[in-house]
Amino acid sequence: MTKTGLTKTGMIDFRGVNKWFGSLNVLKDITLSVEPREVVVVCGPSGSGKSTLIRCVNGLETIKDGDLVVDGQRLGDPATNMTQLRTEIGFVFQAFNLYPHKTALENVTLAPIHVRKIPRAEAEKAGRELLAKVGLADKVNAYPAQLSGGQQQRVAIARCLGMRPKIMLFDEPTSALDPEMISEVLDVMVAVAEEGMTMMVVTHEMGFARKVAQRVVFMDAGAIVESGTPDEFFSHPKTDRSRAFLSKILRH
Amino acid sequence: MLENFSFRTIVEYLPLFGQGLITTVWLSALSFVGALIVGIVLCAMNLQRGWLFRAPAKAYIDAVRATPLLAQLYFLYFGLPRLGFVLPELVVGILALSLNSGAYVAEIIRAGILSIPRGQVEASVASGMTYVQRMRLVVLPQAFKVTIPPLLGQAIVLVKDSALLSLISVSELTRAGQLLASDRFMPAEGFLTIAAFYLLLYYCLKGLAGLSSRWLGTAGART
Repeated sequence: MTKTGLTKTGMIDFRGVNKWFGSLNVLKDITLSVEPREVVVVCGPSGSGKSTLIRCVNGLETIKDGDLVVDGQRLGDPATNMTQLRTEIGFVFQAFNLYPHKTALENVTLAPIHVRKIPRAEAEKAGRELLAKVGLADKVNAYPAQLSGGQQQRVAIARCLGMRPKIMLFDEPTSALDPEMISEVLDVMVAVAEEGMTMMVVTHEMGFARKVAQRVVFMDAGAIVESGTPDEFFSHPKTDRSRAFLSKILRH
Repeated sequence: MLENFSFRTIVEYLPLFGQGLITTVWLSALSFVGALIVGIVLCAMNLQRGWLFRAPAKAYIDAVRATPLLAQLYFLYFGLPRLGFVLPELVVGILALSLNSGAYVAEIIRAGILSIPRGQVEASVASGMTYVQRMRLVVLPQAFKVTIPPLLGQAIVLVKDSALLSLISVSELTRAGQLLASDRFMPAEGFLTIAAFYLLLYYCLKGLAGLSSRWLGTAGART
């Protein structure tokens, strides 16, 4: 395939991507294109490669072969400035990973000030607005240790939004949360999605998927087994593997 | 037994002890600054991916930890002049303590940096920070907090190790005790007095450690 032969380019384009951890083929021939403003939910059993998949998008993991093009830039290409590209990609971790020595506001403004070089006053104004947007206007000066899990995750989302990214990646953002805190985080994610953010979300939250996702991708053993609209996937799964998976997560 | 103990002689020798104490304090302080510099450089080398810097740093740290400080001190004091480097004993003493303590400081700092969870580095990488930015803004400020108490512990060890400099005739605290012991044949008075002064220094550093951990504990406690 020549470069000029590419018909259309999504915001995130996996083309025949493979990755190994030692002899384990963790990503098998992944081909997936995420359009601008699209929300794709990735689900699958533990160890299926879904976290690895989205960690490749911002280069937290490197791919072995195939092409991965993000925002028009090919990863692993010497011409691609990864540091620069990462400023366009927000990443929300399962374990929040807030900076414990910084307040909520400082967590949100750190990268905008030092990476985006936005003047401090301006970054702080934007930071306060973002914290207000995620419902934490009263917590700007709190340290992460003083916040609940749900509050920490909302700060983490605000921290990503502070960089004004084009893409947001979520790696099981609600898996580490107590049940009563899940909805407050999902509500924020729904709001972000509704503003037109391009998102890849690793989650088993079907309510979220049905509400905002255009597509659900089901992975097993490193490969994409099935993909479709949330309705198709949850109501009429096509493969035995996805039916077995859904029966497990839906049982309770 | 105690009637033989001469407090009067101790008082008589107090100016000498005082001078020794002052020398011990400033040469220890200087050596500790030296140890920090040596330690930071060694640690930076040790954290590199390539073996080119890491191997010599590891070899140096092992060599220092495997050999007695006295042997290192004697090498610098007696050995270096034979190789053509003649330095005053005070310089040799400070050099020896810095080079020795530096190896331990390097390991303390490395342990501090490695104690920072991987997620912290990933979060800063994901936000587009460069290596220098994430070290400066995220890793080092957190590592600093966990390294302060063990660093002060190392400072206490360094103060005690500085007693060895009396063997190359640096007139520090232990040397003052030796003088009293040999001038007046009063080893009990001489060495008990310096012990008291070392204890005093120990409590000062320990107090500092307590203060620092309380001060660091309040600003941004982690879970």
